[in-house]
Amino acid sequence: MESFVVNLLNGLSWGMLLFLISVGLTTVFGVLGVLNFAHGSLFMLGAYLSMWVMHLVPSFWAGLVLGPVLVAVIGMVIEVFFLRPVYDRDVSYQLLLTFAILLVLDDAVRLIWGPGYHVVEAPQILAGVFPLFNHSYPVYRLFLVCIGPVIGGGLWFFFKFTRWGKLIRAAAMDREMAEGIGIRVPLLFTAVFGLGTWLAALGGALAAPHQSIGPSMGERVIIESFIVVVIGGLGSFPGAFIGAIVLGFLEAFGTVFAGRIQMALPYILLAVVLLIRPRGLFGEK
Amino acid sequence: MKRSQLFSRTILAVLLCLVMCMPAIAAEKPIKLGFVYIMSGPFSTYGQFAKQGAQLAIDEINASGGILGRKVEGYFEDSTGKPDVAARALKKLVYQVGVDCLIGLDSSGVAKTVVPLIPQMKTPLIITHAATPDVTGNICNDYVFRISLNLAQNVKAAAKVASESKANLWTTIGPDYAFGHQSWEYFQKYLKELKPGVKFMPKDKVAFSPIKTTDFSSYITKIMQSKPEGVFISLWGGNLIDFVRQADQMGFFKGDFDVLMSLGAATEVLYALKDKMPVGIWVGTRYWFLSNNSPVNVKFRTAYHKRFGQYPSYNAHGAYGAVYTYKAAVEKAKSVDKKAVIKALEGLSIELPVGKITIRAVDHQAVTDACWGKTAADPAYPIRILKPMRIFPGKEITRPVEQTGCKRK
Amino acid sequence: MGRNTSVKSQFISGVSIFGILALCPIFFPIYWTMILTEILIMGLFAMSFNLLFGYSGLLSFGQAGFFGLGAYATTISILHGVKSIWLAMLIGMAASAIGATLIGFLCVRRDEIFFAMLTLGFGMMIYTVAHNWRELTGGSDGLSLFMVPPIHFFGLEVSLEPPRAMYYFSLIIVAAAVYILWRVIRSPFGLMLMASRENKDRLYFVGANVKNIRLFAFVIAGVMAGLSGALFSLFNHMAAPSFVHWSFSARPVLMTILGGSEIFFGPACGAAIFFVLEQLVTSITENWMIVLGAILIPVVIFTPKGILGTVVSWFTDNKA
Repeated sequence: MESFVVNLLNGLSWGMLLFLISVGLTTVFGVLGVLNFAHGSLFMLGAYLSMWVMHLVPSFWAGLVLGPVLVAVIGMVIEVFFLRPVYDRDVSYQLLLTFAILLVLDDAVRLIWGPGYHVVEAPQILAGVFPLFNHSYPVYRLFLVCIGPVIGGGLWFFFKFTRWGKLIRAAAMDREMAEGIGIRVPLLFTAVFGLGTWLAALGGALAAPHQSIGPSMGERVIIESFIVVVIGGLGSFPGAFIGAIVLGFLEAFGTVFAGRIQMALPYILLAVVLLIRPRGLFGEK
Repeated sequence: MKRSQLFSRTILAVLLCLVMCMPAIAAEKPIKLGFVYIMSGPFSTYGQFAKQGAQLAIDEINASGGILGRKVEGYFEDSTGKPDVAARALKKLVYQVGVDCLIGLDSSGVAKTVVPLIPQMKTPLIITHAATPDVTGNICNDYVFRISLNLAQNVKAAAKVASESKANLWTTIGPDYAFGHQSWEYFQKYLKELKPGVKFMPKDKVAFSPIKTTDFSSYITKIMQSKPEGVFISLWGGNLIDFVRQADQMGFFKGDFDVLMSLGAATEVLYALKDKMPVGIWVGTRYWFLSNNSPVNVKFRTAYHKRFGQYPSYNAHGAYGAVYTYKAAVEKAKSVDKKAVIKALEGLSIELPVGKITIRAVDHQAVTDACWGKTAADPAYPIRILKPMRIFPGKEITRPVEQTGCKRK
Repeated sequence: MGRNTSVKSQFISGVSIFGILALCPIFFPIYWTMILTEILIMGLFAMSFNLLFGYSGLLSFGQAGFFGLGAYATTISILHGVKSIWLAMLIGMAASAIGATLIGFLCVRRDEIFFAMLTLGFGMMIYTVAHNWRELTGGSDGLSLFMVPPIHFFGLEVSLEPPRAMYYFSLIIVAAAVYILWRVIRSPFGLMLMASRENKDRLYFVGANVKNIRLFAFVIAGVMAGLSGALFSLFNHMAAPSFVHWSFSARPVLMTILGGSEIFFGPACGAAIFFVLEQLVTSITENWMIVLGAILIPVVIFTPKGILGTVVSWFTDNKA
């Protein structure tokens, strides 16, 4: 029971981080039709830039707010200069292009901040622990568990009720139609890519107090967030949420039962979901 | 008659000139050392340390007249941590650059798969980091040497530390690949020899995390739930940093069990964690910059600290030491001939910063001291240091040649 | 009529490439002969991938799984006493054929990104087996071959240890495999395969079973990947888990798009470009990732047909 609850929380907190990364990926795919291999690198950049801001203005919150915004600006630059020419190409070209961007970003970070590991502190208010059964559980993890639904809810509200959200959904459904009724689609795409980037970078900034920051930290999450997005259903919002939580639980509880096949669990989940539901859990036919 | 005389004299003069010039030409030609480390990707910090250590040694040697009067040049290649890429890098250094000696290898997997290729290249390789016992064990060969502490030596020292503690029920958390599993196997074997009554957790209670893990909470929970008396940790690098921080938050280090970290005193870990590294934990490493105050060590750590702004890590020491080891071998052989150098390396003793090492003639493993200690805070250093410190003499922790499985000679 | 000349010119260009390649080791230093061997092997790997990608429109992200099956099965059989290289390589190909049949059966029902993700998933399952089944595969350390047995033909014993011998051995095997691939593509089956890329439904209406056609292509591609894996393990004297990892599957993707997926030799050309580029970049700078990325970005943006594809279309455009 005790270990069940603890693992539940472990799975949830990891799942929420995965959700933040994946929801950006799925939004970009849903609207732009691009599967962004460099998404993990933007996650990494979020961690690095927040760390940088946190050192300049010694405040965790300043880093959390400003870091992702800076990354979003970089993301929009990438969209304008590199992604626009390949929208009408096959998905494999987009994968390769974003892979090339990944190489550049990963190495640039290594050149700027060095190849070593960095550590970021959680703010005082979140640094403590609270008692759970006869153990202590970090407050920061609970913060992660809470922040996921808050951001998810905010996004849902944005897409459902705001003008911009509605425009984006319209453009995602039918690009030509949207252009026909006077929506400036290129601008909208840039904004959406910026939003996706912001979400990835926010994930990175939130992950920073919780794991070491190092070059290529994005490579570790990119495949898992691909899996979340695909099992949830490409472009699906609730799909990314459920997918991330399922994967988080699977990995947390996997340590108890999986033994040698632990490493393969996400892939087994992926294969099983795709074979049973070809378009993912929440995918449209 | 006259003409032919002139002719022969000219030839004689030219020949004389050539003979006289030859040593001069030979002295001009630098000695080439090839280095293969991980220079890119998540573990590139190890390659950077090694490169810094190697450059320091090369510059020192060149400033004091080189090796046998010849300058030394270093060539660095990226193994990326992948065996096929490492094999290609080694081939490039041997066949294209024409190096006199190979130095390097971080990953055990890479070392194990490329070591059998080395005899074909007929060039000595000095391993300075990869810890798998096998390269100086069952796959040892004429050309491969190791001057760094191997897994078995380090774990033997860990077992000695563990045998002195009250803990009687041990478990582990390690990376889920050969290094983690082998560390645990050797730990059980050695501790059982030293303390026959000791018990170990069964397979389903110990924890091995995939190397890409960043969230260790479930593993930490698993270990704490199993209520051990001692925990042996073989995580390293970024994994260890993540683990220590998350474990600290979850109260792991306040638990009533002993904790040993086989690579906890690695400087890249201590520099990242700074005061977040809990004090009073037993940690080991392959080289500790404060382990002794011999002139060689003081010179190395001050020169390194002055030039690169950090205290040297074990990988910097490995590359630094390998260059000096090669120098000693060449000076002993009085030649850079590869066969002669190999012969000179066998049985060579040399004073390195870590202490005096002796390369065994049969398995080519260096008998070198291991340093363990308890983490402690010291205002004179930005990182945790070891206090008290234990030095285990190389002879006590190196397994006898008969046990290594090395079938040379 | 256009087709006939193109068949002929393709065949002639294939034969002349073979001739040039056969002469290369005479002029090349040993190291470049070794690089050329790797180019041949990875070129075959990329071409096997392109049978799926370029000709069937299926983006496989798990091709390294079959490459690895071939490499491991060959290495394991030699380590367990198989004396004949031919037999060992056949075992390697058989292993990848079985793997490709089972996995292909499940994967060919899906398209596009879903196919890519499914193959990625199965590839990584094979990776997990290679990485964790320590008793058989050597676990994360992989396996090393101390000795590659010599080959025998017509009573002659030839050792493959010298780099040039290995080169010619690889050249002959790769040439034979490329010829088979070429015949497959030119056959009625190949035409149906290409039709399945263009319009799946139409093919279905004329009574062809798209799934079976794709499965057959998947298995051929798997076997060819397995063959290149077998060669790679003999060349490097090793089989390692990194051969099976998804990042290894990305190599043929990169090479194919670099060279051009619409040209038969495009992927192999991409392999050559990739290796030469890597040699150049790594000899100039340690920060090869950023340079490689900076080169790739404009290549992908400005040459949608790949480098060889773009060159070829310059020539054909000039003629027209």
